[in-house]
Amino acid sequence: MKHLHENADSSLPDYSQGIHAPDHEPGKSRRWYQAKVLPFVVRLILGGVFIYASVDKILHPAAFAEAVYNYKILPDALINLTAIILPWLELLLGIFLLSGVYLPGAVFLINILLVTFFVALVFNLARGLDIHCGCFTTSQEATINPCMCLYMLRDGAFLLLALYLFSHVFLRKRTTKNIER
Amino acid sequence: MTLKYIFKSEQKWFQMIRQSSGIFLIAVIIGLAVNQLHPNKLPLVANWSLEARLTLESGESMVIPIEEARELFLSQSAIFLDARSSKLYEHGHILRARNLPWNAVDEHFDTVMADIHHDALLIAYCDGESCAEGKYLALELFYRGYENVRVLVNGWSLWVEQHLPVEKGSWQGES
Repeated sequence: MKHLHENADSSLPDYSQGIHAPDHEPGKSRRWYQAKVLPFVVRLILGGVFIYASVDKILHPAAFAEAVYNYKILPDALINLTAIILPWLELLLGIFLLSGVYLPGAVFLINILLVTFFVALVFNLARGLDIHCGCFTTSQEATINPCMCLYMLRDGAFLLLALYLFSHVFLRKRTTKNIER
Repeated sequence: MTLKYIFKSEQKWFQMIRQSSGIFLIAVIIGLAVNQLHPNKLPLVANWSLEARLTLESGESMVIPIEEARELFLSQSAIFLDARSSKLYEHGHILRARNLPWNAVDEHFDTVMADIHHDALLIAYCDGESCAEGKYLALELFYRGYENVRVLVNGWSLWVEQHLPVEKGSWQGES
């Protein structure tokens, strides 16, 4: 694995053409979604969410396996393996997001996970399966099952944050300098 | 505008593949290792079939034969729960059985089970050999803390065949 600094944010403005780099007009502050603090805040939020979500599942693997089974999406043979591995994957990803280490890999994986969870929720909503989400607690005993729409909104929000991180890490900002190359 | 101008670098994509594979591998190793050391370790591949899930830790099945159900009924040691819809229940059900329809279990659970102790012996039933509602109800009761639950498969038909006591009407909510 490469050194830390190679994974660091490479979105520093280009000063090779003088202080007024093409994507930073004099007198104009950078757009809010380009500021460096925003990716950091998003990483904190998503990292925290993933770590928090993993704890209960690590502590109660059998109950989490039950939750995975209730989604009725995975084949039976994969259920326990998922219940054993997924929480640790979430924990690791949360740690990497918080620390900013191995961001390309971590950001890619959280996007994969969040897209998968979102699609699974939508799929079950579409086929009318009313299940306890199992996202943050393995308790199947909730007497009030919140509307699955709420789960979708929440997961949708996390997914948007993850997609933002993806664009920040992988996509080049559109600048005149890039076009001219 | 080609992809080359949109993505930061190919290097980032190789990093992504290497790092995500590495992270996934570490998660697999840690997960399997921790599971091995866990006192209640999960089997890597479990039997999730309904029959397996109805098997208690002792190896016994929750499913009981009609003879045992009859004995428990006559000695009044068990509470019978009809998992069928309220329409079917009203048409005829086991004497003194309560109606907890599986298709609306969340709505009625608290009212029906309000005065029942968690240790109470419960027998869930529905109708038909392939009817799974009784089994699902039994599992639901189990996971909600009523661990002394049994299933009488094809309960209604067998009960009627044996000319055991039945009654009609809706459940009034009285024990």
